[in-house]
Amino acid sequence: MSELINLSLTDQILGLANKSFSSREITEAYLNEIKKKESLNCFISVFEEESEEKVLIADENIAKNKARPLEGIPIAHKDIFCIKDKKTTCGSKMLSNFISPYSSEVFSKLDTAGAITIGKTNMDEFAMGSSNETSFYGNVLNPINEKFSPGGSSGGSAAAVRANLCSFATATDTGGSIRQPASFCGVTGIKPTYGRVSRWGMIAFASSLDQAGVIAKNAKDAAIALKYMSGFDQKDSTSLNEEVKDLQKEVDSDQEHIIGIPKELIENIKNDQVRDSFKNAISTLEKDGAKIEEINLPHIQYSLPAYYVIAPAECSANLARYDGIRFGHRSKSVSSLEDLYVNSRTEGFGKEVKNRIFIGTFCLSAGYYDAFYNKALKIRNLIKSDFDEAFKKVSSIAMPTCSDSSFELGSISDPVEMYEQDIYTIPANLAGLPALSIPSGTADEMPIGLQLIGNYLEEGRILNLANKFQKLTDFHEFK
Amino acid sequence: MKITEQDLKNISLLSKIKIDEETSNSLIKDLESILTMVNKMDEIDTSKINPLTHPIENTQTLRDDIETKDIEREKLQELSKEKDSGFYLTPKVIE
Repeated sequence: MSELINLSLTDQILGLANKSFSSREITEAYLNEIKKKESLNCFISVFEEESEEKVLIADENIAKNKARPLEGIPIAHKDIFCIKDKKTTCGSKMLSNFISPYSSEVFSKLDTAGAITIGKTNMDEFAMGSSNETSFYGNVLNPINEKFSPGGSSGGSAAAVRANLCSFATATDTGGSIRQPASFCGVTGIKPTYGRVSRWGMIAFASSLDQAGVIAKNAKDAAIALKYMSGFDQKDSTSLNEEVKDLQKEVDSDQEHIIGIPKELIENIKNDQVRDSFKNAISTLEKDGAKIEEINLPHIQYSLPAYYVIAPAECSANLARYDGIRFGHRSKSVSSLEDLYVNSRTEGFGKEVKNRIFIGTFCLSAGYYDAFYNKALKIRNLIKSDFDEAFKKVSSIAMPTCSDSSFELGSISDPVEMYEQDIYTIPANLAGLPALSIPSGTADEMPIGLQLIGNYLEEGRILNLANKFQKLTDFHEFK
Repeated sequence: MKITEQDLKNISLLSKIKIDEETSNSLIKDLESILTMVNKMDEIDTSKINPLTHPIENTQTLRDDIETKDIEREKLQELSKEKDSGFYLTPKVIE
């Protein structure tokens, strides 16, 4: 039944409803494929036994015509989402023994919708990284070429979807962690509006930027998955109490589009293949009826520096909770309380996480707060205003997801060069806007992505535009 | 932007993370290169701009004050090896 794993989520839902195949057949096919492709290192945990119980319920519900919307669909969660009584490591030694006492809202919603969680995907430690190389569990390999990075931090989720190891996978995006790996692995990834999906039970990195989303095979599938993850949650104080639109309907509806192109940014793209592919993608959409408008985002060039103050600052505060006392790694070589804190943290965190804590600590310390943190917050305001202004005349904004295609594992050691991976993805996080990445071509034989940014709560609009593009092109098809 | 040995000591103290002497040089190099990139922010005058701490207004809504069983104390404490009678244990702090 290996062909079942090649099907899109849309076709799997249809096939299950028509009883063309069972949830058991799809689930077993995925679990076999996960074993076969173990060397990709996509998963930190695989739930074979638990899947068995869920499959019985799913197939029974389907037989009785009582199927829930995602009944019997095997999915994977990034290992940043807590699942009750399951190990949740966040890719860190610090949480290698952490069995979550509760479930994240993202897991609960998808579980309630009938999806079967077959495993938890590998990721950069605490979602800090753009290559998956900071994971305590070793890096994930890019299924397209195993010498290359799958991107990060949701590299496990992107690679798992690309390697046909699940129907879709959840992911998170603080500065590009859904869109960059989606671009590197040739899959579709969406980060919705900040507050659209609950952060309850999602391990915090930078709370004003973190947002959960999804990586799938195409825009239609992403719309279905996102629809069942979205919604107000009282347990998340930043959750938006706004109606959840029917993204499944919206993705395929007849909509007009005005696409904003930040001309200056596009002209400065250094990689010719990335620039040409971007221009081709826009011309494809224009021929299909979309209107194209030049826009100005004058402060976007300051996104990277502002982000690398704000995110580490919030990270240094959030990760202060790992004190070795209540949960997480506890050092054995301890003679005082100070030792317990220092040794547990020094042993439990990896190099990149420590670097970000150090930067954040420095930027928030006396004498530097105004020069760094406050300055970055002011720039954040300017960037948000740029977008507000642009969205007065356009319905979405397009730019490449990344400045290049994937790079060879181990080839980037300079932290700033690695941070520059996020140069086009960070602005949407700073402004809290929804943004997605869809495959739009190749550069040096590896996929590259087209990024579409939407106005607040207009996930449906960018998914609709992405779906239009995918009807006209085949870059999203796995060949 | 220069990072001194003293800066490093302060950062280590505040973040409660040890910095090895062996790695301090490469760490200084990494931090300096990150802060040099960050200093690009100085190119713009932000004196009349308000800081934006959060992308969405109307945040910090509170949940209803109803008791829930989402997280049980006993279950939470199972995560710690060092506990007694509902308390967490740490090394002695009072002489």
